[in-house]
Amino acid sequence: MNAPERRTYQVAIIGGGIVGLFTAYRLLRAGAGPVVVLERGFLSSGASGRNGGGVRQQWDSRVTVRLMREAVQDWKQFGREFGTNVWFRQGGYLFLAASPAEVTRLGQVTEAVRSEGLDGRLLEPSGVLRYAPSLSLDGILGATFLKTDGTLYPFPGVWGVYEAVRALGGEVRLGVEVTGVRAEGGRVVGLATTGGPVEAPIVVNAAGGWSGDVSRLAGLSVPNVASRHEILATEPLKPFLDPMVIRLSDGLYFSQTMRGEVVGGLSVPHPTGTRAGVPTSTTFLRTMSRSMVRLVPSLAPVGVLRAWSGYYDDTPDGFPVIGEDPRLPGFFHANGFSGHGFMLSPASSKRVAQAVLGERTDLDPALFSPGRFLDPHRSTEAEGLQPG
Amino acid sequence: MEPVLVPGPTAGRPDLRRLPPRTRSTRYHRPRAPFCGVGYCTNCLVRVNGVPNVRSCRYDAAPGDVMTVENAWPSARFDILGVFDVLFPHGIDTLRGFRRPAFAVPWYQRVVRRLAGTGAFPTPSLPPRPAPGRSMETDVLVLGAGTAGRAAVETFVAEGVRPLVLEREPVPTPIAGAECLGRTTAVFLPPPRESGPRPFELIASVSDGSAIDVRARTVVVAVGGYDASLWFAGSDRPGVVTAEGAERLHPAVRPDFSHAVVFGGGPRAFQILERFGAQTDAVVAPGSIDPDVARKASELDIPLFPRTLLLAAVGRRAVRGVRLARRGGDQPPFRLEADAVILAHRRLPHPQLFFQAGAQMEWRPGVGAYGPVVGGAGATTVPGLFAAGESAGAASPDRARESGIAAATSALAPGPGSRPTPSPPSDEHNELEGYYQELLTAGPGPGKVVICPCEDVLLGELLEATERGYRGIEVIKRYTGVGTGLCQGRYCLPDALLVLALREHRTPREVGYITQRPPVVPTPLGAFAGLPDEVEATP
Ligand SMILES: Cc1cc2nc3c(=O)[nH]c(=O)nc-3n(C[C@H](O)[C@H](O)[C@H](O)COP(=O)(O)OP(=O)(O)OC[C@H]3O[C@@H](n4cnc5c(N)ncnc54)[C@H](O)[C@@H]3O)c2cc1C
Repeated sequence: MNAPERRTYQVAIIGGGIVGLFTAYRLLRAGAGPVVVLERGFLSSGASGRNGGGVRQQWDSRVTVRLMREAVQDWKQFGREFGTNVWFRQGGYLFLAASPAEVTRLGQVTEAVRSEGLDGRLLEPSGVLRYAPSLSLDGILGATFLKTDGTLYPFPGVWGVYEAVRALGGEVRLGVEVTGVRAEGGRVVGLATTGGPVEAPIVVNAAGGWSGDVSRLAGLSVPNVASRHEILATEPLKPFLDPMVIRLSDGLYFSQTMRGEVVGGLSVPHPTGTRAGVPTSTTFLRTMSRSMVRLVPSLAPVGVLRAWSGYYDDTPDGFPVIGEDPRLPGFFHANGFSGHGFMLSPASSKRVAQAVLGERTDLDPALFSPGRFLDPHRSTEAEGLQPG
Repeated sequence: MEPVLVPGPTAGRPDLRRLPPRTRSTRYHRPRAPFCGVGYCTNCLVRVNGVPNVRSCRYDAAPGDVMTVENAWPSARFDILGVFDVLFPHGIDTLRGFRRPAFAVPWYQRVVRRLAGTGAFPTPSLPPRPAPGRSMETDVLVLGAGTAGRAAVETFVAEGVRPLVLEREPVPTPIAGAECLGRTTAVFLPPPRESGPRPFELIASVSDGSAIDVRARTVVVAVGGYDASLWFAGSDRPGVVTAEGAERLHPAVRPDFSHAVVFGGGPRAFQILERFGAQTDAVVAPGSIDPDVARKASELDIPLFPRTLLLAAVGRRAVRGVRLARRGGDQPPFRLEADAVILAHRRLPHPQLFFQAGAQMEWRPGVGAYGPVVGGAGATTVPGLFAAGESAGAASPDRARESGIAAATSALAPGPGSRPTPSPPSDEHNELEGYYQELLTAGPGPGKVVICPCEDVLLGELLEATERGYRGIEVIKRYTGVGTGLCQGRYCLPDALLVLALREHRTPREVGYITQRPPVVPTPLGAFAGLPDEVEATP
C-alpha cells in the first residue's frame, strides 16, 4: 500500500487526518486530477483519532455558526454518503455559566445562534436539570442549550472518507513523512519525503498540530501554535447523559459516547510546540477529576479507563487558515482548526477544494486567508468560544 | 437484578464465594462467568452499594453490602437481551449498519445505546467525595512483592537502603526494612519527550479508592506475568478459565468442574495437573507435550492430545464439551465431554510498565509477546529502570530470586552501568502462529469467536478489517475496538497481534507495539480528585 503508484500528482496533501482526507475527497469529486495524501503515521494517529467528537453550532461569530450549521447537515448525511456510521447523535450542547459576565457572554452566543435561524435557548439554572439531571447546580448562574448540536464517533469518519478517497482513485501513503517543500522560481514544484520525492504543482498543508512545523519546512513563518490538550475516558455506563456539557469557567467538557464511556477534557497549561509527544500529566488527571466531580458528584466512584493527549493547532484570532499562501504560490493552508477541526471538516474541506481549484469561496479573506496575518490593520474579529 | 451476596466476615482477601456465578457480556449479552481470577477480565463485574463496575474478585465485602449483577434483564441467568446473540449469529455491524433509512437513525441510536455500557449511573448510599490521596518520594521503588521483588528488596535493605514497595495483591506480612503497600497498582506516567533527566513519575491506585502520586529515582519492576487467553468458538463461555483463574476460583466459584480439559503441554500445564489432576479428563496441546506432563498424565490415566486444534467449546450456558481436531487437517473433528477448559498454554510477562517508562521494547518470539530489552543484570535502556522476575525472562522461583538480587545489585552500583542492546532479529516463530494459521484455515466453530470479550469484538471483525486493507495493530484496534475494554487488551491484543501478522504476511513486530494508556487499571475519578496539590508535573 505504501509503494507509490506514481511520482507526479496534481495535488499533494500533507497530513492524513480528517482535514487532509476530506480535502482529497472533495478534490477527487471535483475531478482535480491525481491526488496523493502523505501521512507519516497510521490512519487517525493525529488529533483526528484523539478528539472528543463534539459537534456544535454555538459560537461567538456568526460565520462559524453558519459553517457549522452546514456541517451538521453533512454529518447527518454522512452515513448515507460514505459507507460508515459515525453515530452522530444530536443530544444537544449545554454551556454553563458561573458568573454574571459568563451569563452575558452566553446571551451573545445565543443571539448569534438565533440570528442564523437555529433554536438556541438561554436557560435558568433550574432549566439545566431538564437536559442533564445528574448535574450539581452549585455555582451555576445560567446556561444555553441547542438541541441540534451533538456528538459523533470520530474513527468511522476517518475510515469512511479514507475508503471514499481510495474508491475515487486517490492515493493515501501511510508511514511517509514530508521532510521538505521544493520550490522553483518562487513556486511550489513538489515535496521531499521519506518515501522519495513527489512532484506536484500544488501542495496542501493539512498537518494539524504540526502545520506550523510544515510551513516552516517551506520557509514560511506562520502564527500557528501547537498546544497540547489532554482528555480521558471512563468505564462504560448505561446512558445517563444526553448532551455535551461545557463549563465556561474552567473549560471542562464531557459527553457520554454511544459506548457509554464518559469522554471529556479540560485544558491545563503545557509548553507549546510539538516536542513533548503525547503524554498524560498528573496535573491533568487531578484538575480534570476535581472539576468533573464538582459538577457531577455521583461520578466520583467511576473509574477512569484511559487518558491521552493530542495537539490543537491554534491561531491568534481563533479562525482557521484556508487558502493559498501569498508568499509561495502553490502552497495552500488547511489548518489552524484549534479544538474543532473535526466537526468543521465536511464544510471546511469544500472551501479548501474550491481554493485549490482557483474558484471563489464564500469565506471572508479578512477572517480566513493566510495573508490576513501579514496585514497590520487586520480585522479584530475573533472566534473566542474555544472549549469543547 | 439478582442480589448475589450473603455478607459475612472477610480476612484480608476478597471472599470468592461471593463472586456472581453468572454475568452477561456488554454487546450480545452472552452468558459469562468469572474467567481470570486476578482482576483483569470483565466477567465478575457487579454493582456494590450503588457503585457500578466493581470487580467482585478484588472487592472486600463488608457486612450489609448489597451486590447485584447488572447489564441483564430480568436476571443474568435468564436475560431477555440475550436474543441479540441468537438473532445475530455473525454479530451486529455497528460500523457500517444502522445508517438507513434516515428517519430510523435516532431510534437505532436509542436501542444501541441501551445495549452498550456495563453498569448504570452510580447511586451510592453514602455521598461520594474525593478520597484523600497523597504523594510519596523515594530513592528506590520496587514494584511487585513476589519472589523477585522480595529478593531485590532484601538486597537493598542489606545495603542500608529503604525501598518503597508497591504490590497489587494483599501483603499480609510486612517486609523488614521496607515500606510496603499492598493492594496498590502503580503505572508510569510517560515522561514528556525531551524532558531531560528527572525522577520517574507514577500514579498508584489503592484498593480503598484513593491514589498516590509517586516519584522515584530508581525503579525495579518485578511485577511478574499472567496466564494468557486463547480464542476458539465459545472461548468466552462460562467454564473456560485461565490457569490462574482455575487456581484462584476453584472450588469457590461456580461453575465448578470435575471433568476439565487442560490446554497446554508445558510447565504451566504440569502445575495445573498437579493441582487438578483428579478433576481433569484430558490434556490438549497446540504442539508437543513435555515428558513430565505426559508422565504425570499417565499416572493419573489422563489421555493426551498433542498437536491438536481446540475448535470450539460446546454448550451455551456453560461448557459441556469441546470440539477438537488433530493438526494436519486430514482427520475429522471429534468431541470430548468436559465441564471446563483450563488455559495453561502460555504465560506472558506484563510489558506495559516498561513501555510507559520509555524503555526500548523487543519482540520475544519464544513467548510470542513484547518485553523490554534487558541486559544481564536486569538493566533496561532507561537509566535507573531495572527488570526482575518474569519480565527479565526468569521462569522459575530460583531464577526469579537471582534476577531480583542482580537487578538490585546493579541498581546500587555507582555509575551509569552498561546499556543493554536488543537481540538480533530472528526468524523464530511462536508456536501459536502456526497453530492459529491452521485454525483460521480449518475455520473454528460453529458459533461466535469472541476475540475481545470485554467489548464483544469478534474474530470475523478483525479479518474483515484486514480484508479492507487496514493494517497494523493501532489501526485495527481503533477500527474494531479490540483491546479498548476494561482489561486494556491484556487478553485479546497478544492474540490479535498473531492473527494480524498471519493476515498481513508480516512478523508480529511489524504489526506494531501494543500501547496501553494510563491509568491501565480503572481508577476512580474521586481518587484522582483527591491527589494533593503540591506536586506539579510540568517541568
Ligand atoms: C483532546 C482533543 C479534543 C478535541 N475535541 C474536539 C471535538 O470535540 N470536536 C472537534 O471537532 N474537534 C476536536 N478536536 C480537534 C480536532 O481533533 C482537530 O481539529 C482535527 O482532528 C484536525 O484534523 P487534521 O486532519 O487537521 O489534523 P490531524 O488529525 O492531527 O492530522 C494531521 C496529520 O498530519 C500528519 N503529519 C504531520 N506532519 C507531517 C509530515 N511532515 N509529513 C506527513 N504527515 C504529517 C500527522 O501524523 C497527522 O496524522 C480535539 C482535539 C484534541 C487534541
